[in-house]
Amino acid sequence: MVLADLGRKLNSALSQLNRAPVVDEKVLDALLKEICAALLESDVNVKLVSSLRQKVKAKAKAAFEAGADKGKEANRRNVVHKAIFDELVQLVDPGVEPYKPKKGQPNVIMAVGLQGNGKTTTCTKLAAYYQRRGFKSCIVCADTFRAGAFDQTRQSASKAKVSFFGSYTETDPVAIASQGVTKFKKERFEVIIVDTSGRHRQESELFQEMVQIGEAVKPDMTVLVLDASIGQAAEAQSRAFKESSDFGAIIVTKMDGHAKGGGAISAVAATKTPIIFLGVGEHLADLDKFSPQPFISKLLGMGDVQGLMEH
Amino acid sequence: VFARFTGGKVLTEQDLAPVLEAMKQHLMKKNVAREIADKVCEAVGESLIGKKVSGFKTVKAEVQNALSAALTRILTPKTSTDLLLSIRSKLANAPAASSSANGKRAPYTITFVGVNGVGKSTNLSKVCFWLIQNGFKVLIAACDTFRSGAVEQLRVHVRNLGMLANGEAGGSVELYERGYGKDAAGIAKEAIAYAKESSLDVVLIDTAGRMQDNEPLMRALAKLVSTNNPDKIIFVGEALVGNEAVDQLQKFDRALRDFSSVGGGHGTGRGIDGMLVTKWDTVDDKVGAALSMTYVTGQPIIFVGCGQTYTDLRQLRVGNVVQALLSD
Ligand SMILES: Nc1nc2c(ncn2[C@@H]2O[C@H](COP(=O)(O)OP(=O)(O)OP(=O)(O)O)[C@@H](O)[C@H]2O)c(=O)[nH]1
Ligand SMILES: Nc1nc2c(ncn2[C@@H]2O[C@H](COP(=O)(O)OP(=O)(O)OP(=O)(O)O)[C@@H](O)[C@H]2O)c(=O)[nH]1
Ligand SMILES: [Mg+2]
Ligand SMILES: [Mg+2]
Repeated sequence: MVLADLGRKLNSALSQLNRAPVVDEKVLDALLKEICAALLESDVNVKLVSSLRQKVKAKAKAAFEAGADKGKEANRRNVVHKAIFDELVQLVDPGVEPYKPKKGQPNVIMAVGLQGNGKTTTCTKLAAYYQRRGFKSCIVCADTFRAGAFDQTRQSASKAKVSFFGSYTETDPVAIASQGVTKFKKERFEVIIVDTSGRHRQESELFQEMVQIGEAVKPDMTVLVLDASIGQAAEAQSRAFKESSDFGAIIVTKMDGHAKGGGAISAVAATKTPIIFLGVGEHLADLDKFSPQPFISKLLGMGDVQGLMEH
Repeated sequence: VFARFTGGKVLTEQDLAPVLEAMKQHLMKKNVAREIADKVCEAVGESLIGKKVSGFKTVKAEVQNALSAALTRILTPKTSTDLLLSIRSKLANAPAASSSANGKRAPYTITFVGVNGVGKSTNLSKVCFWLIQNGFKVLIAACDTFRSGAVEQLRVHVRNLGMLANGEAGGSVELYERGYGKDAAGIAKEAIAYAKESSLDVVLIDTAGRMQDNEPLMRALAKLVSTNNPDKIIFVGEALVGNEAVDQLQKFDRALRDFSSVGGGHGTGRGIDGMLVTKWDTVDDKVGAALSMTYVTGQPIIFVGCGQTYTDLRQLRVGNVVQALLSD
């Protein structure tokens, strides 16, 4: 299971809380120390972790002082438990609703992100996902930089039986993007996904190009595709992408591996943007819907109450 | 009281604890994996307990120095990173066995392995460019027979490199490919045989990206290694990777060693020989992954990839990395 390791660690920390005869500051500190260690090991941003520690402490203290515990240890435990749960949910839930494609109209989705993070693969998965739900879906390959990019789209889109557009000779990604989107709009496609080259904030020309593609295709939703294994560079990169592309959703890929995705979670916090899907493999169907609260419940072993990660 | 100024102070665990904790946080901010930051700081602490502080130095400065020395030690290669030398000496001293019946010489072979999307194929192409510049005849073996477009990606690189090779001192490049869906170990074997037959110098073997926990795929990689016994197995990892650096390397190394010993070829029990760290240009001074990787394997970083063109390949500068790791 995704994040099983982190879940196990958080759980063992919390079960220590249940075993402690009294819940005092010392117990709380020890608990927070363990939880923070588990989060740091999962690549959650160092500053975020220390702010989480302070917030939980402050909340618990305030609640105790206000007498919320009514002097009972069990109540104190619940207060602490809830404070931790809420802060963890906060980490992955910016409280923003992502764009939802609507039938009977074109919905343009543009994928952006760092090199090799899984954009092209995810574009095909997304197109197939919406196609299965009755949207007429297609992909525009606006990556003119990477060797073999159009072949990759052509082969994977063909396998998925999704329409695609691209060129072996045109070198301007803005031109391809706008031609493709115009063509597919005319043909009444409903979900039009624009795949772009990988880029990073240190090269401003690449970011400029992304802005121009965005201006040309006017996406209804831009998605940042982010690798689950990213470490402490996640914050600066995702902030820069947010500023230039104003993405409205995040998809975290490669969650089928051992990575716990803490860097990606930090990107959520840094950009106040929700995660909508997790990529969980190299195959077409390896895409899971994401929602924050069930995700954390599951992580903490609190049960799969709402039939959480539906396919 | 005077002891503080005259340098008579002996460092205790209590003096060191807060400084070491701050140091650990600092290293993690630089993207060093938590486990590695822990271990490095612990070792630095142990080396300092009971030490006399000399002159006017503060505890902090003392720890800084010790840390800098420790980082340098970890990052400094313990085996040669001179790939050209290694290639030239193999080609020059081709043992009788491999220069067999028809008197032809076996090529030098390098395999690139790693998780998905880290830059294996791109950096293999950069290494190819560098070898061509050094006058070698190179064959690229397209052994990623899974990912869409993987073969065409290499075809484009070979076409570009072929044009660049024109006029370079005897260097050349060819592609060996057998399309998709086939057994990678077999294609690598055919490619090596072809290179030998055609008197090519070096075979660069591209492999499909895979997750370190995916046993069937790791077994397939080990089979490629055991049947072909490459001269170098280079693990490609990206500078962006966080704590996963540790698990990726441990598991790639272990899986290659364990699974390849079942294969029974010449390359049994082989592990990772060195690393190529890519996307160096995307992390500013957060270069901690390089430390995590070298700490875990004890193997050298042979190259650093720092961009998306053929010339964006460098040697690791240990001094610069240490400086970046220590800088505020
Ligand atoms: N295991 C696993 N691999 C994935 C997943 N998503 C993508 N990949 C793999 O990651 C690698 C890179 O994927 P691409 O889709 O080419 O990445 P990209 O972002 O388009 O790359 P550039 O266009 O070069 O920036 C490929 O090997 C994919 O098969 C995932 O969820 N799990
Ligand atoms: N900025 C930067 N990008 C790089 C570097 N090396 C590779 N890339 C980019 O990373 C992306 C993925 O590179 P590939 O060579 O296809 O990666 P791979 O490991 O072969 O991927 P799979 O075969 O799908 O596992 C491409 O967009 C490359 O241009 C580097 O040093 N810096
Ligand atoms: Mg792509
Ligand atoms: Mg590749």
